[in-house]
Amino acid sequence: MLHPKNPLFYLQTALYSLVFMDEQSHLLPYARRADFRVSRATELTGKDYRFYRFLEIVPGLAAWLTLIGIILASMYAPFYAAYFIIAFAIYWVLKTIFLSYHVRYNWKRLRHHMELDWQLLMQKFSYGQYYQLIILPYYQEPKEVLDGAIKGLLAAKYDPKKLIVVLAAEARAGEEAGQMAREIETEYAAQFGHFLVTIHPADIAGELAGKGSNTHFALQEVRRKIIDTNAIPYKNILTSIFDIDTVIYPDYFNCLMWHFLTTENPYKSAFQPVPLFTNNLWDAPALSRVMAMSSTFWQMIMQERPDKAATFSSHSVSFQALYEIGYGQANVVSEDSRIFWNLLIANNGNFEVVSLSYPIAMDATIAPTWWGTMKNIYKQHRRWTYGVENWCYIIYHFSKNKAIPLKKRWAIALMQGEGYWSLVTNPIMLFILGWAPIFLGTREFHATVLSYELPIMVRNLLIVSMVGLVVSSIISLSLTPPRPDHHSRFRYVVMVLQWIMVPLTMIVFSAIPGLDAQTRLMFGKYMGFWVTPKREK
Amino acid sequence: MEPQIESLSLKSRQRFFLSLVVIFVLALPALIFYTTGYRLNFENQETAIVTTGGMYITTDNLEVDVYLDEEQVDRPRLFRSAYYIQNIAAGQHRVVVQRPDLLTWVKELPIDAYIVTEASAFNMPIVPHVRPITKYVTATGTPVYLGVASTTQLFSGVTTTLPVLITLSTRTGNYKLNDEYTFVKSLFASSTATSTKSVFKKIMDEVDRFRFSTSTEVLIEATTTEVLVERGNMSLVEKTGELYAVWNGTVQNIPYYFCITNDTPSSTALRYGNHVALQVSKLLLSTTTPMLIDSNRICRPEIKLDRLRQDVYLYDFFPNSSDLVLLQLQDGLYVTEIDDRSWQNTQQVYPGTDFRTVVENGVIYIMDGDKYFELVTEIQPI
Repeated sequence: MLHPKNPLFYLQTALYSLVFMDEQSHLLPYARRADFRVSRATELTGKDYRFYRFLEIVPGLAAWLTLIGIILASMYAPFYAAYFIIAFAIYWVLKTIFLSYHVRYNWKRLRHHMELDWQLLMQKFSYGQYYQLIILPYYQEPKEVLDGAIKGLLAAKYDPKKLIVVLAAEARAGEEAGQMAREIETEYAAQFGHFLVTIHPADIAGELAGKGSNTHFALQEVRRKIIDTNAIPYKNILTSIFDIDTVIYPDYFNCLMWHFLTTENPYKSAFQPVPLFTNNLWDAPALSRVMAMSSTFWQMIMQERPDKAATFSSHSVSFQALYEIGYGQANVVSEDSRIFWNLLIANNGNFEVVSLSYPIAMDATIAPTWWGTMKNIYKQHRRWTYGVENWCYIIYHFSKNKAIPLKKRWAIALMQGEGYWSLVTNPIMLFILGWAPIFLGTREFHATVLSYELPIMVRNLLIVSMVGLVVSSIISLSLTPPRPDHHSRFRYVVMVLQWIMVPLTMIVFSAIPGLDAQTRLMFGKYMGFWVTPKREK
Repeated sequence: MEPQIESLSLKSRQRFFLSLVVIFVLALPALIFYTTGYRLNFENQETAIVTTGGMYITTDNLEVDVYLDEEQVDRPRLFRSAYYIQNIAAGQHRVVVQRPDLLTWVKELPIDAYIVTEASAFNMPIVPHVRPITKYVTATGTPVYLGVASTTQLFSGVTTTLPVLITLSTRTGNYKLNDEYTFVKSLFASSTATSTKSVFKKIMDEVDRFRFSTSTEVLIEATTTEVLVERGNMSLVEKTGELYAVWNGTVQNIPYYFCITNDTPSSTALRYGNHVALQVSKLLLSTTTPMLIDSNRICRPEIKLDRLRQDVYLYDFFPNSSDLVLLQLQDGLYVTEIDDRSWQNTQQVYPGTDFRTVVENGVIYIMDGDKYFELVTEIQPI
């Protein structure tokens, strides 16, 4: 790709516009840029390549420099390292309190929203013209999972004739996956307003195999085959892109519609529910439950900080907004959040996340064996933390799109950067490197009260921060579905005690996969999309 | 009931965030001062900031009682053989480590502000524990003493850790030969064979006060200085009729008890004892054995061992330790610590005037008359 300062750039853009005029005309101006859908440095050339490559290196380098820096400081400046660790431990306690405050607030709001009769609330609106488009991309998941998702839609307190359901299969998954979709279609299609099965071809150039490319294809297909055919205005369609294990709560569409109709800029908003990984929670091992609930808590925190949030996993957005950016990207791993950044950048910063504070149920990660579950959780979190690729994308386009207010660009860049940095460094610093000066410090340091008091102080501060875990434990129990008969009551006790594993899970399933992902990006070893197997076939 | 559509307001979040920032700003210096040794003192109706130090005591036995200045220290819940005592005012403090069935370890140590003083206590049994090694054992391994009427004549002043079988009969038909006995007997036999003159005889004749165990390596023999036993960087040296523990490693790794704070002789005498002050004064002038200077401390390269004004018949490191030394003196076998701050604790581990000792592979064997024992150094819990 040519640089804008290169005279040929404009010729290239003109030719590009001429050739793809029809396909580009509906896009927002910024989304027409050839580099709008960049996913990695190697897709760029010249200065842009170097800048993007530099951005890919920064997160991993920052994390490694921090960790190595603490080790070196512990060896050569142990007193300063000790003071830093005390400061960091206090910061951690306060951060825990800060986040617990958000979780608790959102928990109250979530429960309030779950108690509301949203159907009743919707009576004062006229919304018959609106359709709910539901995209359900899947790969090799068993039929039981697909059934669960479809039955959830049918059980919703919403007119099913206003639902457009797209079951998006993958050609790569083989004939069996397509056959399964057709069986589901035969069984359920008549009950919905529209039902479409799409088979995403395996060989589309420039795509990265995964949920993002499948969704991208399904959105194009549904527009062509259903929306345009039935002349449904794009502005009258709310699109929900759900993971296939998503089972909606009965009032989801009413709650979504209510927020859509009452929010200030409905076409410049993405709507984020709270994912509860509870479909199979009772069958998941303790570590998987802790990770699932931790992810839920993080999303609950983000619900109270929508100005700092991006979309995650299953979420909803107007079809018009998606159409204006060409349905996002088909070449990234973290497609769920990338679509938000596409929307934000293409809309010159005028796009936001609206918190629904209403749940959707999904699967916790499990496998036939305990060890298999651990491996799956690790890989799933490595994929999630590979979302650091979005940081490169954001900064790259923030440097290009000056229409986004500078303050907003800086705020997002720093906040996202700090998020990815702290994700991989904080747990390691707190639970491992916090002790480094004691083992690596000089003799002078070892003879001091500071050397002896440091582990006691850090331990005590960590115990205080564990109060946050008590809050987590109480909230998680309240969000747990009813106990199946085949599980004993004793499991409730385990569900309370499981939270003591948090220090371990933070390191093994957050920090290390995060560091793994950032290091891969740093060395240009780009990751592909890994499908999380959630239930046995 | 209307939905609460608003997220937590930005104002609330900012207010909460700012209050946490204030807590951070206040807590950080307070906790840094606390961890470096500053404490608030509420005594004398006046609140004042005082500086404190600490003490770190390791013990070789669990279930001992540790006292600091006559006050018992709480037992640690974790790492029960290590006691970290906080909030100690600067000055001299007496530490006592004891258990009813063990000999008491006592030391008086100086505590400095911001600094942790280390010490390592050891407590040997009041009544020595031995494991009899007999020529014959039963099928189940019980030691057998033949032609003996009572155990009192077997174990005088010691206690056995194993049940033994005594019989007036001398018939051996029901018993089997003990391989260990043969091995131990050969140890003592070879120990005499390695010298031109029987070590045992030398000891008994009191010809020389210093003899080494044949089971340890002989390094150098010289007329004025003999480096006889070595463990790691520590060696035991006989010099001008005295026994010394000498550090041969770097000053960075030197054990803490070799070092003292660089102070005036009178202050050194007050803090560590006259013997230390005298040694330091001598070493500071010495050109052959100079002091090791390491930033804020000075380290002696050697420490004289207390032989209780008795002749030394045998010396070696105590098994699995380079801080404790085993000494066979005129009236028994002793363990002494190298740490000479205030004084050296010396504890008798086997009484007697007519016995021999061999240390082999970390085991102390005793030949007392015609009987062989292993001296049990591991203390059993109460």
